[in-house]
Amino acid sequence: MQSLSIISVNLWHVLFALANLAIIYVIVRRFLFKPVNKVLDERRAEIDGIYAKAEKASAEAEESRLNYAAAMEAAEQTANQLIMEASRDAERRGNEIESEARSRAADIRRQAETDAMLERRKAEDDIRREIADVSTRLTGKLLEREISEADHRALIDSFLQEIGTENDTDK
Amino acid sequence: MTDGKAVSVKDTRFRTVDALLIALMVLPLAACLVLKILFTPEYEGVHISGALIYLQIDSFPVQPLLITESQVNSAGITLSILGLCLYLTHGLTVKAQTRRQLIAEWIVEKCRGLVDSNMGESWSGYAPFVAAIMGLSAFSSLSCLIGLFAPTGDVNVTAGWAVLVFFLVTWTKLRGGFLNYLRGFTEPVVFFTPMNFISEFSLPVSMAFRHYGNVMCGAVISALVGSALTGLSRMLLGWIPVIGELPLLTVGIPAVLSLYFDVFSGLMQAFIFAMLTMLNISNSFPAEAWEKRQKKKELRKMQKATVNG
Repeated sequence: MQSLSIISVNLWHVLFALANLAIIYVIVRRFLFKPVNKVLDERRAEIDGIYAKAEKASAEAEESRLNYAAAMEAAEQTANQLIMEASRDAERRGNEIESEARSRAADIRRQAETDAMLERRKAEDDIRREIADVSTRLTGKLLEREISEADHRALIDSFLQEIGTENDTDK
Repeated sequence: MTDGKAVSVKDTRFRTVDALLIALMVLPLAACLVLKILFTPEYEGVHISGALIYLQIDSFPVQPLLITESQVNSAGITLSILGLCLYLTHGLTVKAQTRRQLIAEWIVEKCRGLVDSNMGESWSGYAPFVAAIMGLSAFSSLSCLIGLFAPTGDVNVTAGWAVLVFFLVTWTKLRGGFLNYLRGFTEPVVFFTPMNFISEFSLPVSMAFRHYGNVMCGAVISALVGSALTGLSRMLLGWIPVIGELPLLTVGIPAVLSLYFDVFSGLMQAFIFAMLTMLNISNSFPAEAWEKRQKKKELRKMQKATVNG
């Protein structure tokens, strides 16, 4: 069997090689690049979808976090207000109680003073009556019937009255 | 139960298709090898020649059609590449699960990246072409590892590829307009026209001969060294009975040479051919003329619109 010489040009061989490369190009494009590119595109679309989902989820989380923070702030404000109101209320109640107690104490004291004064008056009257009695009896004993008992008593009463008024003005 | 059966049926079908595709990869090359073994005559001494002629048809116009090793091997490699592509893309999933899918994606993305970085993003449609050139050239050069005649060692084959590249270059140049293309030959002055013609047509010639020469010289050197080592071993060890008959020195050294000339040089030339293709095509695009034409077109459109309005 013959073989070609080491360098020989044959037009048909050149055309054959050209067609061969063109066929290989078609094969590589159709059977390697097309399916692989399709898969890569699908994967990119899937990744994009995942990214979009993740972004959406994070946005939602951020929104709910903001909502929560706002709710917390509102709750804190309410709590502060409640505390302030309560303390104001307590202060007011305390003041009320104190003033009531004070007024009551004053009432009691006034009552006590009045009572004491009445007692004293009574005591004074008693003493005066005692003295009048004693002095009547004494003077009666001393003067015997020189004077009527009624006149005498009137005299002494007026006298004692004078003393009493003097005492009162002294007071 | 039924599910498991369905899966197993699917699995066996998948495996069967896989086996068929692997057969499609291997059988054409095996057939080429068998054909070569059947047709190779016995040689004595150093024999360096081109491809074996399997069939000769004289009744063709211009030149007789010769079916040689390079054509048969090219066809075999084409079928093999078809099988490889189908095998790599068999059972692709969105989530890459198999090693072959990773390889397929790696090839596609590397080729696209190479084209994008060397030609620019707008040229990424050339990625399959560049991948085809690299694959065909690399497979052709590497086919000599299994004992086939490398089709890239035939100048006609590389010339065919270079002519296709030349067509593409000219096609790209023509995108700036035919007159602009013709005017390109007279630049920078009319005096340079013959030289521009020569440089234009030297592109395919230089590409074809660079690739062919590198592969062929490897084969020639391998053949020379092999025969020299055979002679040397016969001279040194010929006096020993039985063992002296065997060319013992040809063990080892030709393998190292083959590693360089067949593997390294073959892949290198595939890469260089692809690089030259990319650079020549992208450089031949007349960007300025093209932009001018686009502007003119737009202007005309606007004028038409105003006239109509």
